[in-house]
Amino acid sequence: MVPEPEETPSHAARKTPGGDHPPDRSLDYDYSNFFWGAGDDMFDILEPFEEWFREARPAGYYLFGLPMRTAPATRIDIIETKTNKELKNLINLASYNYLGLSYRPEVIEAVVEATRKYGSGASGSPILSGTIELHDELAAKIASFKKKEQALIFPSGYSANLGVIAGLMRSGDLVVTDQYAHASIVDGIILSKADVRYFRHNSAADLERKLRGFKGKKLVIIEGVYSMDGDLAKLPEIVEVSKHQGARIMIDEAHSTFLFGKNGRGVTEHFGLEDEVDIHFGTFSKTLGGIGGFVAGSRALITYLKGFARSRVFSCALPPGVTAGLIRALEIVEAEPELRTRLWGNVEYMQDLLRKGGVDIGDSQSQVIPIMVRDDDRIFKIAEELIHEGVYLNPIRYPAVGKHRSRFRISITAGHTRQELAEGAEIIRRVLERYGLCR
Amino acid sequence: MPLTKYCFKNAVNAFFEMPRENARAILPAHLQPMEIRHGEAVLAITAFDFADSMVGPYAEIFLAVIVPPLVRPGEPMPKSAFYPFMLATSTQAARDHAIERWHLPHHMKNVSVDFEESNKRMSVRVHEAGVPILDFAISPHTWVDADDLYQSFMHTQADRFKVNVHMKGRFTEHEEETGELMLYDHPMCDKLHINDIAVYPFREMWMQNGVQTFEELESI
Repeated sequence: MVPEPEETPSHAARKTPGGDHPPDRSLDYDYSNFFWGAGDDMFDILEPFEEWFREARPAGYYLFGLPMRTAPATRIDIIETKTNKELKNLINLASYNYLGLSYRPEVIEAVVEATRKYGSGASGSPILSGTIELHDELAAKIASFKKKEQALIFPSGYSANLGVIAGLMRSGDLVVTDQYAHASIVDGIILSKADVRYFRHNSAADLERKLRGFKGKKLVIIEGVYSMDGDLAKLPEIVEVSKHQGARIMIDEAHSTFLFGKNGRGVTEHFGLEDEVDIHFGTFSKTLGGIGGFVAGSRALITYLKGFARSRVFSCALPPGVTAGLIRALEIVEAEPELRTRLWGNVEYMQDLLRKGGVDIGDSQSQVIPIMVRDDDRIFKIAEELIHEGVYLNPIRYPAVGKHRSRFRISITAGHTRQELAEGAEIIRRVLERYGLCR
Repeated sequence: MPLTKYCFKNAVNAFFEMPRENARAILPAHLQPMEIRHGEAVLAITAFDFADSMVGPYAEIFLAVIVPPLVRPGEPMPKSAFYPFMLATSTQAARDHAIERWHLPHHMKNVSVDFEESNKRMSVRVHEAGVPILDFAISPHTWVDADDLYQSFMHTQADRFKVNVHMKGRFTEHEEETGELMLYDHPMCDKLHINDIAVYPFREMWMQNGVQTFEELESI
C-alpha cells in the first residue's frame, strides 16, 4: 500500500507569474504549450507566455531572427543578440538564395531603375489602381516559362496559397494534403472552410485511403520539395491515385520552381508530369531572391482566381522595383542554365562531404539538406557553437518539426564556392562530433 | 494537501490523430479538443503497469482526448491536459477506486493489459478474456529524468472537475512515427470512428519505474 503523503510533490513544473520560481526549465516548454489555454479570459495566457519567453530567449530562442548586416550572400555579418556582438564573415548556409540572384548586379540595377521610374510602391490593389505594366509583364513571362496559358501574381507565397485554395474550395469540399504541408497550405484550407484530411508523408496508399469514398469536389495538394527534409514528392504515384479517385491536383513548388527539370520548370518537369497537374504554385522569394508568389494554369483557372482569390484582391500589388528585379532574375534563370548545373554540383559536393564526415543528412534529394540532430535539448547549444565557429545555420526544433526530430537545414546555392562548402562542412562535422553526433 | 500516489513499472503512452468532429462528440460541452493541425484532434492511449497503489498492483488502459490546459496566473504551468473518456482495469478494486475517487468513466469488466518489451520496442496488447480491444506499440528515444505536471478533466452530471497529476520517472519521447495501432470492434472503442484514427502515433512516450501523484480533485 502506498501511503498518502501530506506534502506537495517535488515537481519542478514552472510557475506562471506570481508563483515561486523553480530552477529554469524553460526549454522543457515550447510554443505549443502556449497556443491553447482553457478558461474565460483570452489574456490569461499572455503573462505566462511572456515570462516563459523571457527565460527561453537567452536559453536559445534568441538564435531565431538574428539581424544581418550584409546581403544574404554566401558570406555574411550578423549581430549576435545575446551579447550584442557582431560576428563577421560567417559562411551562410541558411538563406534561400538558391541561384544567388538577390545580389546579382543586374537584378539590383533593375530594381533601382524601376524604383526611380515608378516609385517605391504600387499604391493600390491589382484589381484597381495597383497594376503597372511590369506586373503584366512578369505574369506573362511566368506563364511562358511554365508553359501554361496564364499566371497570376500575388504579393507573397503565403498569400498565393491562401488565395488559390480559399478561392477554389468551399464548405463541404474535401482537401487532402501531405502531413508535412506548409502552413500556408493549411491556412488556405482553414480559410476555405473545406474539410481536410492529411495523408502520411508521400504515401500514395494512405492518400488513396483518405480520398476513397468521398463524393464531391476533391483537391490533392502536395509540395515539389518538402522544405524541412529536402525530399521530393512521389509525384508519379500521387498523380495516379489522384486521377483514379477523380481529384484535382495542386503542387506547391516553392523550393523547386526555377531549379528542377531540364529547363527549371520544377518537379513536374523533372517527372514529365506537367500536364497532369492542374494548379502550379511557386514563389519568388526562394530562387529568384525577391518576394511574391504565383499560380499558373489554364486561362479559365486564372480568370476565376482573379475574381475570387481574396488575398490578392485585398492586398497591394508588388512594389515596382521588386517586380522589375523578378523579371530580370527570371531572364537570368532562362539565359544561364549553367547556374543550375553549378547548384547541383555544389549539392552533390556538400552531400558527399557531409556523408563522409558521418553527418546524418536524412533522405535529402535537393538543395535543402537537413542536418539531423534529433536532440531538442542540445540543438540550441550546437547552434551557438556553429555561429561562433563560423557557420550561420538556423536551429529547427519542435513544434516546427516533430519532437526529437530537431535539425539544422542547409540551403545550398550556386553562389557558394567549393572552399566555402568544404570549410562549412568541416565546421559542422567538428561541432557535431563534439556532441557525439557523427556516425 | 492530500495526495494519492500510484507507483508503476511502465506507463506507455502514444498520441494519434483523430478527426476533430469525433473528438468534439466525445468531449463535454465545456471542453474543446486541441488540434495538432486544422481538423486533427488528438487521441491519447496510455497503458499502465501499476506495481503498487492503494488498491494493490493492477494494470490499466485509458483512452483520452487531449484538451487545452487550464492556465491561471501564479499556478504551475502544465505540459498538457487530458479528458479521459474510457478506462479499463485488470481488477475490480482499482475500477471502484478510480470511479469513486476520480469520477473516471470505466468499462465495467476486467481486462488484461499485456506488456511485451523486446528489441527496443514496447508492445501493449489489451483484451477482455481473449477478445481483442486494442494493440499498440512504441519505441524509445533518449531516456531522461522527468517530473512533469499534467491536468485531467472529469465530470459528473452535476459537476465539473480538474485534477493536477504529476508524473515522475525515467522518460523518453519522440515523434519518429515508428509505432503502430490496431483498434478492434469492442465496446471500449464504441465512441471512436475506428477507420479515421491514424494507424501510427505521431508521438510516442514511455515512462519507467515512475510515480504518478494526484493532487486533490478541484471543482471548476
